[in-house]
Amino acid sequence: MKHPLYYKTKKITLSILTHLFLLIVVASCLFPLLWMIGSSLKTQQTIFSDMSLIPKEMHWENYYHAWKQGGFSRYFLNSIFYTVSVVTGIVLVSSLAAYAFSRFNFVGRNLIFYTFMAAMMIPIPGSFVPLYVLLNKLHLRNTQLGYILCMINVGLSTSIFLLKTFFDKMPKELEDAARIDGCSKLGIWWHVALPLAKPVLAVVVVFNALNVWNEYVLALIIFDNRNLMPLQVALTTFQGEFITQYPLLMAGLTITALPIILVYFLMQKYIVKGVTQGAVVG
Amino acid sequence: MLNIKYQKYILSFIFCFLFFGCSSKKEFAKPTITVWHWMTDRKDAFQELSRRYEEKTGVKVNFELYAPSDAYTQKVRAAAQGNTLPDIFGILGEMRDFASFIKAGYVEDLTPYMEENQAEWKERFFKKALEVNEFGPDNAYGVKPGIYGVPIDIMTIQMLYNKRLFKELGLNPENPPQDFSEFLNIGKRIREKGLQGLVSGWAELWMIDCLANNFAFNIMGKDKVIKTIKGEIPYTDPDWIKVLTLFKEIKEAGLLYDGIVTMVNKTAEQIFANERAVFAFNGSWCVNVYRGMNPNLDYAVMLPPKVSEKFPRSIWGGAGSSFMVNANSKLKKEVIRFLKWLTDKEQQIFLSEATFNLPANKESLTQIHPRLAEFADDIEITTHPRIWGVSEFPRVIEAFDKGIQAIIIGEKTPEEVAREIQEIKEKELAKKRSQKE
Repeated sequence: MKHPLYYKTKKITLSILTHLFLLIVVASCLFPLLWMIGSSLKTQQTIFSDMSLIPKEMHWENYYHAWKQGGFSRYFLNSIFYTVSVVTGIVLVSSLAAYAFSRFNFVGRNLIFYTFMAAMMIPIPGSFVPLYVLLNKLHLRNTQLGYILCMINVGLSTSIFLLKTFFDKMPKELEDAARIDGCSKLGIWWHVALPLAKPVLAVVVVFNALNVWNEYVLALIIFDNRNLMPLQVALTTFQGEFITQYPLLMAGLTITALPIILVYFLMQKYIVKGVTQGAVVG
Repeated sequence: MLNIKYQKYILSFIFCFLFFGCSSKKEFAKPTITVWHWMTDRKDAFQELSRRYEEKTGVKVNFELYAPSDAYTQKVRAAAQGNTLPDIFGILGEMRDFASFIKAGYVEDLTPYMEENQAEWKERFFKKALEVNEFGPDNAYGVKPGIYGVPIDIMTIQMLYNKRLFKELGLNPENPPQDFSEFLNIGKRIREKGLQGLVSGWAELWMIDCLANNFAFNIMGKDKVIKTIKGEIPYTDPDWIKVLTLFKEIKEAGLLYDGIVTMVNKTAEQIFANERAVFAFNGSWCVNVYRGMNPNLDYAVMLPPKVSEKFPRSIWGGAGSSFMVNANSKLKKEVIRFLKWLTDKEQQIFLSEATFNLPANKESLTQIHPRLAEFADDIEITTHPRIWGVSEFPRVIEAFDKGIQAIIIGEKTPEEVAREIQEIKEKELAKKRSQKE
């Protein structure tokens, strides 16, 4: 039997080490964010000479210039429209598909499912040229609909995989009860499966929203009309071939990061639940 | 009655529609030329030139910017496949990419336009600027000989030194080192003063390749370099080992900035601009970069030090950016007219003043920034892999450049690296031979 002081010291030491480790993790997560905000308040010259996080002179006007020069007003609305449309599309299609893959028996079910999963392995840049040619033939290139459809397609595989794993572990008794109450297949999906899948749906929403919000390469390829471009394209205004306007770029990045941070905070409760509980249902 | 009343309105509407809506606009409308580019720095200057051209000719020119260059390259490739290339565009990448676009029929042969009126258009440009857009007879790419691009600006890659730090080292800032031993001797002074030597973005392999080729041309001459690429001379040749050994000597002399092999060029530029390195190896674009980072930086341009008297020194350079004409464009004549105007002396001076790039038009040099003129002075001794007529295998280039990195960090000897490069070269040659069979 060891002395109580030993256990107390051990507990305190472990707690200090754990907190120290967590503090390092927090610092490594927050530092880039703080550096970005600090740099957004410097000038092009002080950004290379003043390494402090809080600049001596705050140049708040950088935000105004970034907004004006980058044409953020239009791009912001475009990005919101694309994000909402794509995420809605992904949630609808992937939840229906995942439910069907999980609950219905039909010919070629596994083949189709694994084909979807295989699509996850294809690097997105590898599909740009075929997508461009396809959209061109369908007369959907340089249209918002074309871009939205492509982005829905990009997000489907992972979302279907996440949701199917969840539906597979959902007790069938819940569906049987709903069926006795007169629910159709679509009714069960809407009234039973979807409400239970909220935590996973939150993960799907946040991951895909982040993906759409940060996407710009596909947009650059399929849009010729600059007015249709998403927000990330505005950031390239500040990145020259040889010169980058860092303060404006950092101000622009801060502006673009805000909505997605907001989405994360709003859905944080569900995401944590979704990640930690995973497939614990009912 | 009511029907007749409505009929009147309907007929009036149809008449107005036919008169205003369907009247031939084509007779009056001037064409619109579309240009795709990736040059963010030149966006405003191009817009201004577009405005001036429309004012002068009535022809509208839409400069559409797609950056960064990686995404731009993907867009151009996709557009080529979809047959939606604009009237004017640029092709980024190696000569073999350029050749594949030409062979697929996407790029117009500009030779007839360049040669007309006693080659007036062709004569405007630096010879070196045109060379990177030119395919000679019997080129290795199987492209019909001709000029396929219009250079907009040029660049050279040279060495730079900080004049203030030169004084601090007790050196004459007007007299930079001319040969390799003078250069190595400065390393000793740099160490004694606790300063840092040469900075460059050598994590970006092409910059190492650039300096190594400068040395190779000086040590063994262009012909031997080309013969090596063709596989007729091995990389284990003593001259190549000498090229690799130079990097070891530079390192041992204390002339390299700590961590240079993992440094990207943006960081290297920041370091030189903040006067934390005596030398830099960079392209002419740096004039604008340093001006933005530290307007008071006092520096000068010098050629990389001479290693041998046997062959002349060469530096990388030539066309910076070029535009190609879509072979399927319906506005070819207007496009050529516009490109001729764009490369006129007046527009080239404007572009150079607005963007701090070296103009491709040699008549414009008299009115450019003095520091840029220093870079332009040596345009006649420039070379570039794109004009060699043969391309080294990408795997060999990678092994060569990574090998130099390994020599710098003391991981491998020049002899070991030479052997490894040659092994890869032989494998690639064997692969090529088997593909042909």
